[in-house]
Amino acid sequence: MIATEAAARQAERIIAARTKAKITHSLIYIAVLAVAIWCFKTTIIDDTDWARIGSVANVLESIGEFLEVDWGLAANLWEPALETIMVATLGTLLGVVVCVPAIWFGALNITPYAPVTYPLARLMMTLSRSIHEIVWGLFFVAAVGLGALAGVLALAVRSVGFIAKMSSEAIEDLDPKPVEAIRAVGGSEFKVFIYAILPQVLPTMIGVIIFEWEINIRRSSILGLVGAGGLGLVFFRQLNTFNYPGVTTTILAILVLILFGELVSFYVRKAII
Amino acid sequence: MAVRATTQTRSGAKSTPPREWQRLKFPESLYNWGGLLLALVFLCYSIIYLNIPLERVSNMFGRVGTLITERYYPPEIDYVLEPDYLSSVFDTIQMAYLGALFGMMMAVPLGWFGAYNMTPSRRFVYPLARLIAMSTRAVHETIWAILFVTILGFGMMAGVLALTMFCIGFAGKLFAEEIEAIDMGQVEALRSTGASELSVMVYAVFPQVRVAFTGIGIYTWDVAFRAATVVGFFGAGGMGWYLKRNVLQIETHRVSAILLSIIVLVLISEAVSAWARARMAKAK
Repeated sequence: MIATEAAARQAERIIAARTKAKITHSLIYIAVLAVAIWCFKTTIIDDTDWARIGSVANVLESIGEFLEVDWGLAANLWEPALETIMVATLGTLLGVVVCVPAIWFGALNITPYAPVTYPLARLMMTLSRSIHEIVWGLFFVAAVGLGALAGVLALAVRSVGFIAKMSSEAIEDLDPKPVEAIRAVGGSEFKVFIYAILPQVLPTMIGVIIFEWEINIRRSSILGLVGAGGLGLVFFRQLNTFNYPGVTTTILAILVLILFGELVSFYVRKAII
Repeated sequence: MAVRATTQTRSGAKSTPPREWQRLKFPESLYNWGGLLLALVFLCYSIIYLNIPLERVSNMFGRVGTLITERYYPPEIDYVLEPDYLSSVFDTIQMAYLGALFGMMMAVPLGWFGAYNMTPSRRFVYPLARLIAMSTRAVHETIWAILFVTILGFGMMAGVLALTMFCIGFAGKLFAEEIEAIDMGQVEALRSTGASELSVMVYAVFPQVRVAFTGIGIYTWDVAFRAATVVGFFGAGGMGWYLKRNVLQIETHRVSAILLSIIVLVLISEAVSAWARARMAKAK
């Protein structure tokens, strides 16, 4: 008797918990949907100049302008593409150099003075990640003038956040035994770093850096919009001269470049790790 | 030396000759140093090719310092508290929300088709889904914004669509990876009862990835918000337009105030997304 009663009570409890979860889930779904409908109304229905868009045929027509490819432009895209890759590479390398102090300060187990240096490193990482590369590009164009240097600096600063975050997390997770072993035989702090810490985190770091390089190709392909050269500048020029097939060619070139970057990063990571 | 000598005398036979220990052996060392040398040559060549004025790098820090202290320093905080700007911030949040939502709605089938273990056809659908995910992600969100502004005119619709395109690739790739990591036992169980592919998806795959998908969704919104702060730069609505206007008018104090507001908003959105993901992982 008692056993069945207990079982019944437990079953009731389970059913009650399930109904409660169901109600919460439906409420969340309804809230998501309601906010979506409201956002749809304010952003898309109210804020769009429907007269400017016209009929569906007009939209299709303007999309159709992009569907041609201007092959004549393709031969002129080698140099900007090379420039884009170079800016990405230099930016990533400079980012690695810049992020060394951020990694050092940002890993809780090796940070010199945790109450001050750890928040400082976190601030550096957040600042680098939260500001968009376009904004960094504008800032550095104002500081060092038009040209590739501004793009390199913008990418370097923008890369710091990701590289430093992943690397310092890798350092926090490392095995402390080699560190103790090197200390026990009397190795200096520098030797501890070279022989105990670096070999453990190097594969992760190289993977992260190559991944960041791949992302930086994508970023450097648009830095031309703010005056840092490369494929972005070609894109901007083609658009401003209303040569829509040329715009399509440039976008295709960017796609090919990024595919190339992804392939290189895939094989290099496979070779190293 | 002494140890080896005794072993040799004890065993009597001559073992392999002692090898000099080296950190890198012959072919590997050549590849390593050669690769490093090539990288260095490429580096120097690209500095020359890009015409980077190295003499400007040395005095750059001073210039950036004076730039910040003299031109950007007192940020005009009043400007970002004006109702006009605040409403644009609100627009940005709405745009990111809608873009992430639409993007995810389209990313769910894309994730299904692009997951190697569940895709309906490995030869045709799988590469196509991968290609779509790759190319929507590869084209930068600002390029999408410019394209949509060219086609549809200024306004938030262009921004929402640009963010949608960006989120399709971003969420689609993560969704596909999540589906590839599921337990195939339940899939086989449903297949053995003769369930259709859609039922398998709904009853065997989806319950396994629901929590992960929600987490990815929140993260996508977070990333979309960061992208949404600048799509307005090219006329696609939101606070980016204010940024562009003030940059062009060289209202540097206002620009620094806007940048500060972006940093604060990104911090808030990051905190909210981390909180929501932790909360959801607990409720699982």
